[in-house]
Amino acid sequence: MLDNVQSVKFFLPELILTGAILVLIVYHVVTGKKKSLFAGYLTVVSVGAAMLIAGGIGSGGARDLFFGMVRIDEFSTFFKVIFSLATIFAAFMSIASSEVNGRRQTEYYVFLLSVTLGMYLLASATDLVMVYLSLELVSIPSYLLAGYLKRADDSVEGAVKYVVYGATASGIMIYGFSLLYGLTGTTSVAEIGRIVASGVSPLTLTVAFILVGVGFGYKIAAVPFHMWSPDVYEGAPTPVTAFLSVGPKAAGFAVLIRFFYAVFAQRVEGGQWALFEGVDWVTVFAVLSAVTMTVGNLVAIVQRNVKRLLAYSSIAHAGYMLMGFVLLNVEGLRAILFYLVVYLFMNTGAFLVVVLIANQIGSEDIEDYSGMGIRSPFLSVCMGIFLFALTGIPPFSGFIGKVYLFAGVIHSGLYWLAVIGVLNSVVSLYYYARILKVMFLEKPKSEEELPVGIYAKAFLAVLAFPTLLLGIYWEPIIRAAEASARLLGG
Amino acid sequence: MLLQYANVLIFMALAAIVATAMLAISRMLQPRNPNPVKAQPYECGELPFGHSWVQFNIRFYVIALIFIIFDVEVAMLYPWGVIFRKLGTIAFVEAFVFIVILLAGLAYLWVEGDLEWVREYRTAEEEKRAREEEREAA
Repeated sequence: MLDNVQSVKFFLPELILTGAILVLIVYHVVTGKKKSLFAGYLTVVSVGAAMLIAGGIGSGGARDLFFGMVRIDEFSTFFKVIFSLATIFAAFMSIASSEVNGRRQTEYYVFLLSVTLGMYLLASATDLVMVYLSLELVSIPSYLLAGYLKRADDSVEGAVKYVVYGATASGIMIYGFSLLYGLTGTTSVAEIGRIVASGVSPLTLTVAFILVGVGFGYKIAAVPFHMWSPDVYEGAPTPVTAFLSVGPKAAGFAVLIRFFYAVFAQRVEGGQWALFEGVDWVTVFAVLSAVTMTVGNLVAIVQRNVKRLLAYSSIAHAGYMLMGFVLLNVEGLRAILFYLVVYLFMNTGAFLVVVLIANQIGSEDIEDYSGMGIRSPFLSVCMGIFLFALTGIPPFSGFIGKVYLFAGVIHSGLYWLAVIGVLNSVVSLYYYARILKVMFLEKPKSEEELPVGIYAKAFLAVLAFPTLLLGIYWEPIIRAAEASARLLGG
Repeated sequence: MLLQYANVLIFMALAAIVATAMLAISRMLQPRNPNPVKAQPYECGELPFGHSWVQFNIRFYVIALIFIIFDVEVAMLYPWGVIFRKLGTIAFVEAFVFIVILLAGLAYLWVEGDLEWVREYRTAEEEKRAREEEREAA
């Protein structure tokens, strides 16, 4: 355990992000409320630097910083790379989007960087107070981002719902924390795990588990805590939607895994964890997983707005990933980590196509996508790649991600969950393919070609390439995911 | 197993009994002669005027937010000041960084005009015109 001074040099990535936030605030104060490209590029550069340094620090073994407040290990490093990429993609999308070129651009990137800093801390937090603070640091700027288009009614509506839901969920979660503290008398997650393992009242532990589960369930938008997400995702500017559906969701999974595996389970030999007597949260989350993917997929079928459809699809994907969470072994966890990487590329890519089309036609309705296959073949083919990857069709990367998830579930003998997962994938094919059918088979409203800039094309290619590559050659990523999961809490 | 919570239960029961008893005893013993002056709500000696269900200006909320930041700062600096000599230079640097970050926040809200009570507002019309001018300038 390192003290404050020794910790600073391992805390460099977070310090870079904090510095960038301060620079942007001062820049905003000095230049006023103008449009600025500088803010966007500074965001990209600082997050990129933070990612590289975090990767270097993370490979040096596990360290507890600031008297055990945060833990730098392979697990948090894996997530930090995901968060950084999500932020960089979101920043580039924001630069390309016509939605986010209002006057208060600098503030927009300050919020984006603040969420990133919060996610960095959330993935490495090992203390109840730190978990709560970093969760709020992710949430509060997210509310502001969701309501960024303050003159658009649906943006404001989404933001208000987000605030109300978020405040309630974190209130319930912190009540669960207070119960855990009352049970064990410490705020350190590892210490709580040790005391819980030596035997505490199962009734209180169950209540604490339910309350904490509500808070984390809200963050990953699992049913029944998902009601905020369609409105927020539809109302927010599209780059923000892409960011919220990848970054904070991954952060939610990071803290969910770290917290639950440390507190409500016991590590046993061979990359396995065991449950405590009387607190069967695995069954609860298995049912939640099944319900989440089913609700997400079924409601997505009837959507007419592409953003809203993708919002429900992202709920469904949280359900798929929860399948890996309930297995209590390294195989399940590495499947989640791998799926998050794949999901980062395919989901961001799908949203990028939505942004580029909306820039030109000003609409996000599926029917307005008619004939895009003729009007812009490049965009449409990319959309096809991303949507088929989201469905999980070979040879795209989404298929490999799902194979690992389903294989883990079957090895653990949860056949019913695997069947529900496969059925859900079939359902999802219907609504993803419907978008493509409109794009390629229906008559265009106008024959006019859609202009797509060279940078936008390059950016799309950057997202489409890993989506294809990870379907053919995925070995390094799964190995990194396995190493991160194996060293968790060890 | 649950016996350890028995004292919590006893505490809750005692609290309920004591509170009810106090209210009941005071109700039995009190003299009752209400008059308009006595029935007024107590406002720390101020004369109440109007109804209490009025809309407050939303800007009180901003002021309260700003206040909280500096309130917390003071709360953090008191314990710091007490053990400052013992901790030495590092404590000084830490507090310095903390205050510089807060100062950036202060500069921000100063420039944004949140410290001014009388603020300029644009009507929707004016806003639209300003936006169009901006677009033309760009």
